[in-house]
Amino acid sequence: MKKEYQTFVRQFKDLKGGKQNLFIKDLTPGPRKYDTRYVKAEIFRDPGKIKNGDILRIRSESGVLLPQPWGIKILEELPESVPGQPWEDVFKAVEKNENLKP
Amino acid sequence: MPFKDHRDFIETLKKTGDLIEVTKEVDWDIEAGAIGRRMYEMGGPSIWFKKVKDYPEGYTLYNGSLGTWRRVAISLGLPPETPVREIYRIYEERLEKPVAPIILEKKKAPCKENILFDDQVDLYRFPAPMIHEGDGGRYIGTWDLVVTKDPEMGWTNWGMYRFMVHNKRWLAGWPQPTSQLAYQLKKYYLPRNQPMPVALVIGADPIAHMVATAPLRLGEDEANFTGALRKKPIELVKCETSDLFVPAHSEIVIEGEIPMDQIVPDGPFGEYPGYRSGTMAEGVGFRVKAITYRNNPILTMIALGVPIDDSSIAASLTAGIAMKRGLQHRGIPVADVFVPPEGVTHLIYVTVKKGGSQVTKEVLEYFTARRVMVSKVIVLDEDVDIFDSGQVLHAFATKCHPGRGIWVEHYEGRANSLTPCYSPKERARLKGASVAFDTTWPPEWPQEIVPIKASFKTIYSKEIQEKINQNWKSYGFK
Repeated sequence: MKKEYQTFVRQFKDLKGGKQNLFIKDLTPGPRKYDTRYVKAEIFRDPGKIKNGDILRIRSESGVLLPQPWGIKILEELPESVPGQPWEDVFKAVEKNENLKP
Repeated sequence: MPFKDHRDFIETLKKTGDLIEVTKEVDWDIEAGAIGRRMYEMGGPSIWFKKVKDYPEGYTLYNGSLGTWRRVAISLGLPPETPVREIYRIYEERLEKPVAPIILEKKKAPCKENILFDDQVDLYRFPAPMIHEGDGGRYIGTWDLVVTKDPEMGWTNWGMYRFMVHNKRWLAGWPQPTSQLAYQLKKYYLPRNQPMPVALVIGADPIAHMVATAPLRLGEDEANFTGALRKKPIELVKCETSDLFVPAHSEIVIEGEIPMDQIVPDGPFGEYPGYRSGTMAEGVGFRVKAITYRNNPILTMIALGVPIDDSSIAASLTAGIAMKRGLQHRGIPVADVFVPPEGVTHLIYVTVKKGGSQVTKEVLEYFTARRVMVSKVIVLDEDVDIFDSGQVLHAFATKCHPGRGIWVEHYEGRANSLTPCYSPKERARLKGASVAFDTTWPPEWPQEIVPIKASFKTIYSKEIQEKINQNWKSYGFK
């Protein structure tokens, strides 16, 4: 039985197959449904092309579901968080704006 | 008497008919959210889901604490039918007398009945709801209260910020980058690369949550204003893992820290403006260190969305009065402010004692000076009842000059990134614009040329009005 996962991308056109690191939600029913994992995985546009793979459902930044799921093969579990500062991009934009002030 | 806690409030709502208890099993995954959403859109009561799928007896969900003006009135100890104008007046009056909190011993605090530390921590013990289909995760923090502290001045901030379950030990959230939590983090914790202690509170006295939505000035403690509105101090208790204090009668308290060097993804989520508008972000990570909770914990939630719901109602009141105070502080001749819940704090009505383009521009400057949550302001003469949107619409349609009555301000770095009309690029840079509509008569117009409003009370003399009123039934009217 294939497992089902879900991930989010900003826009569907950003999707690219192949090996990559991504956050996925485990859709297995039960009290831990939607648990997040950060994994290294290979993803495929056609889920039928992958042996021993699972289903990857994909949603956009507005939560719109891509009608056709992709396939995913998890290669490695990664740490549960990633390096970075809260609102890093936004603060940079704000600082840039502040620097423009006389 | 103020409510001791959320349970006390529930008992009163049962008596007033403002609560329905659902004993049929309901799924935390979409079903509870969809029911809650439908009920808001019917203007119905709050809902207590007593049996939640996958969870043991006693672990319940509660939607819609203050989702109607009736419930806001009840929370303030007022009759349920109290008019909105009167609720505003009483709220404003009570805020004038802050009441400091009192500190309870840990052993007397109900929220310490159960305590989980470190490896015992498991957020999946609680039925965090998946509120809308397509959300980024299970939002345990919607009708919440997030406590953080300024380590230098000692000022404690309470804010209502969304937080979802990332995994058993992490939450992911997205307080707005212009929020007071972000201000504290950026000013004190980021430069020192120190984790920021944080506590997420669920199911406190409803007034405490309402005050958490208030845009108070920097340095003002929400706990004091909660006491003011309750007319009695709120009882706080110290956290287990930090020097933060939280409402002692809360249902669930999640303690932890926001690291400065690690992030986790948050969103998207159907938010308070009534849309799920691309607010997917590299969110704030909240590493959980302890959870304390009452026996039979009640997880409070809002099935957020189009107004009217708890968020749009609470923010109407708290933002409206905060804005009035702010405008007064700037010396603007404000008479009243109303934030119509349907406008989800994007649309504001302001009446002024003296109108004109200069005053309108000053009003706009106030709303765009720092973080900008508001995109449209209608400035009106004080003869308009701003609690009646029909009157506002009539004035706007007829008095706002399309060529010289509209003032627009563009800005970057401080816009509301949840405003749905902004593009993804604008949201990423906090770029936006606000507009003020001058819906007042130009003060330079001589009195004799100002159009007379053709209403019964304004175009007829007192004598005629009295005569008509006295004879009303004699005309055959009821």
